[in-house]
Amino acid sequence: MKTETTLNVNGLAYEVTIDAHATLSKTVRETIGLTGTKEGCDDSECGACMMLIDGKPVNSCSYFTLQAAGHAITTVEGLSDGDELSPLQTSFLTCGGVQCGFCTPGMLISATAFLAENPDPTEDQVRIALSGNLCRCTGYDGIVKAVLDAAKA
Amino acid sequence: MTQATKDTTTYPTPVSAIRSDGKEKVMGTGRYTADLTLTGQLYAAFRYADHPHARLLRVDTTKAKALPGVVAVVTHADVPEVLYGGMVQDRYLFAKDTVRFEGDIIAGVAATTEAIARSAAALIEVEYEVLPAITDFEAAMNADSPLVHPGWAEYSRNDDVGSTGNTMGYSTIVKGDADAAMAGADVVVKGRYVTDPVQGVPIEPRAVLAQWSGDKVTVWTSTQVPYAARSGVALTMGIPESNVRVIVPLLGGGFGAKCDFHFEGHVAALARASRRPVKLVFSRKEEFFAVGHRREGMVLEFETGAKKDGTLVSRRARLVLDKGAYCGEGGFFAQMAAMHACGPYKIENIHVASFLNYSNNQPSSSIRAPTAPQVCWALEQHMDALASALGMDPVDLRRKTLVDEGDEGPTRQVFDRVGLKETLERAVELIGYGKELPDDEAIGVASGWWPCFAVPSGAYVKMNPDGTGTIVTGAQENGSGAVMAMPQFVAEELGMRAEDFSILYQDTDAAPWDMGSSGSQTTFNSVRAVLDATADVRNQLIAAAADLLEAAPEDLELVSGNVQVKGTPTKNVAIATLTAGGTFHGRGSGPLPDSPPVQAEGCVGRLGNESFLAPQFFTHAVRVKVDRDTGVVRVLQVAAGHDSGRILNPTGAAGQIYGGIVMGIGQAISEGTMLDDVGRQRNPGLLDYKLVTCSDAPQMDIAWVEIDTPNAGPRGSKGIGEPPCVPTAGAVANAIAKVIGQPVTHLPMTPERVWAQANTSNGAQS
Repeated sequence: MKTETTLNVNGLAYEVTIDAHATLSKTVRETIGLTGTKEGCDDSECGACMMLIDGKPVNSCSYFTLQAAGHAITTVEGLSDGDELSPLQTSFLTCGGVQCGFCTPGMLISATAFLAENPDPTEDQVRIALSGNLCRCTGYDGIVKAVLDAAKA
Repeated sequence: MTQATKDTTTYPTPVSAIRSDGKEKVMGTGRYTADLTLTGQLYAAFRYADHPHARLLRVDTTKAKALPGVVAVVTHADVPEVLYGGMVQDRYLFAKDTVRFEGDIIAGVAATTEAIARSAAALIEVEYEVLPAITDFEAAMNADSPLVHPGWAEYSRNDDVGSTGNTMGYSTIVKGDADAAMAGADVVVKGRYVTDPVQGVPIEPRAVLAQWSGDKVTVWTSTQVPYAARSGVALTMGIPESNVRVIVPLLGGGFGAKCDFHFEGHVAALARASRRPVKLVFSRKEEFFAVGHRREGMVLEFETGAKKDGTLVSRRARLVLDKGAYCGEGGFFAQMAAMHACGPYKIENIHVASFLNYSNNQPSSSIRAPTAPQVCWALEQHMDALASALGMDPVDLRRKTLVDEGDEGPTRQVFDRVGLKETLERAVELIGYGKELPDDEAIGVASGWWPCFAVPSGAYVKMNPDGTGTIVTGAQENGSGAVMAMPQFVAEELGMRAEDFSILYQDTDAAPWDMGSSGSQTTFNSVRAVLDATADVRNQLIAAAADLLEAAPEDLELVSGNVQVKGTPTKNVAIATLTAGGTFHGRGSGPLPDSPPVQAEGCVGRLGNESFLAPQFFTHAVRVKVDRDTGVVRVLQVAAGHDSGRILNPTGAAGQIYGGIVMGIGQAISEGTMLDDVGRQRNPGLLDYKLVTCSDAPQMDIAWVEIDTPNAGPRGSKGIGEPPCVPTAGAVANAIAKVIGQPVTHLPMTPERVWAQANTSNGAQS
């Protein structure tokens, strides 16, 4: 069954016609066309698909589109200010937090939400906060350094 | 923390540049294959084998074709009759008359939605004669075992592979007289070790998108090896390579799992049949069970004889490797495993026999340092067992027996300068080996080696009229940053800035052939080619400037964007001035370094790996904590000593070590594919196949041992991507054994296995 709804993604309103059971990740990636969000497992295990809903991180692969209607959705494309990277995006690059980049959008969303809650974290707190995001390239070292570095900035 | 020991040769100062694909990756604007959409594209789904081993009696696609939204259904009958594979050509795109593992593809469907494609695949009627599944890859070599490939003898193959029946590959390393020397040893230890298969698990599931234009096809694919993908599509579609263009958008990790040609052929066939673009995106489950790439299970038996002082006098080993259903590109594994069973040790007498056996399990092919982590894990435990039998400290035994300059390897390759022993010293120093620890903690050590691979590559460097340049390379970026580092090298050679250069890569129509992202060889080979092309364009710029400046070419240098007269920098011409008025484009390949000579006449199954070119050496020292009541192991600290030659990009190199260690920890304690009694995977998902998470990852310290090695790669570098995941599991194993007093001889060393061993007095294994 098709349903019409309006989604607010990164400050822009999108009118979409979707299947009622469509996941938020599919709608944002395929219907709206913002492909920065990645799908690595479709099962809430890898964290690559994370988005912010009113500032709270969710696995968008396991979140119905219709649940997000009426809320502010932020994807990785919404983290920078135009072409100006956020401190966290910059520190991911300078600290070696990006290799293949496929986990990066989810990591950035997770870390953005975490730093908003805890602007001065310990390393252990960072590690626990990111433990729902899998990375196969970096051994997490550059990512953890990046989050701590951004917190200091 | 990182430390470094350096030789004295001078190279440009290493630079940790920000990768040029970084901004699009953190902004989410970069495109990976699954992010692409073509107008009118259809979606692909596969019908997989319902039984891991069965004869196909009937395949009926009528109902699938009748489903609204289905545009094409393709089976073996619809594609050219072509067998493909690496050293043995043993596989069809779509199963012809037999399925040999659960991921064998019987048919492909292209439909207007993914859901319709999957529904249609399920509607295909297949009638089977179920055959006995050969899952015990050791029993597969028994004379009475049924054959996975009854027609094996008819296949085209590399005759050096050494196939017989279910043993697809056979290789030996023979040196001296192992039997006689063993009989004369003061101490002899034996050990048997078993490893479960392991998966590469790139976070990006693979995706393929194909579109035909007349007789030509363009394939966008998440491959590590675009040129191999191109030749595979050409072969299986029956068209020349010039009619196939393979483009790799951003690649979301590979770790070997995305090496080799495979699904590009199926999607190209579907796109041809439907006359529409077709896109395939794997689910995570498919990424586990359907790919022909996993780290193989092994059974390893070692016997080593030593003198009382620790001198190794003899090594015998028998290795049995699970090839799974098809050869793929893993035909060389028997020999590679055999070399690792010898290890970088001084041993005068060796007999290693290595069998690579077909089974009805998932095919094994390259995963980051293929064969090495499992063999190293077993061998390094065996070495600790020998140390124990000799009453020696394991580190002291390694100090005495690891190779050094002038020593001979297992095939009498004579080592030039090597930093192996220093990797040991630096690793044990960094971790504080010998210090007092709580009784549930211990430190284990493991060492190993890995070759560099010399293969052809080619590149162009072309200057643009505005004085910038473009590097055209066949190299493939897998995330490591090896390709991203190229502008820095080119800029240094031309006296320009890295940001002056863009890179055109991952497009088979643009650059000469390249091996792709495999074998840790991108810098070794592709950068060699790029530097050669850079030298070509440099000479062209100097020749043009020499005319303008009326100076001899040998008196000119390139500095700060100018060509200038040495000693008289005011007499110069800007490179941008030259390029505005002329065409400058270099090409290059660079000479391949020679492999070290060996004396390996007694060895069979020689496929080239008996000689280790510019070998990389490494030692990991690992501190673990073991809960004896639950068997849970926590890795607290890893100190990694690496001789990878000169380090060219410190941040990038450290990223390889950190990632490799964490992958190694997964292999040690949590990652293992479990099979049911017919070879189906029982845990094809991230909930039951456990990757190491951020909160599990330990403190990691690196010591670089920067030894200048003859025949090394550009600027004294060697490879670096694969080695860091090789010794970690062995070091973890040796630490666990110290805590619980017994070795755990089945990998991964899960809590159940550790607990069982800790609580078993007779040492019987789970």
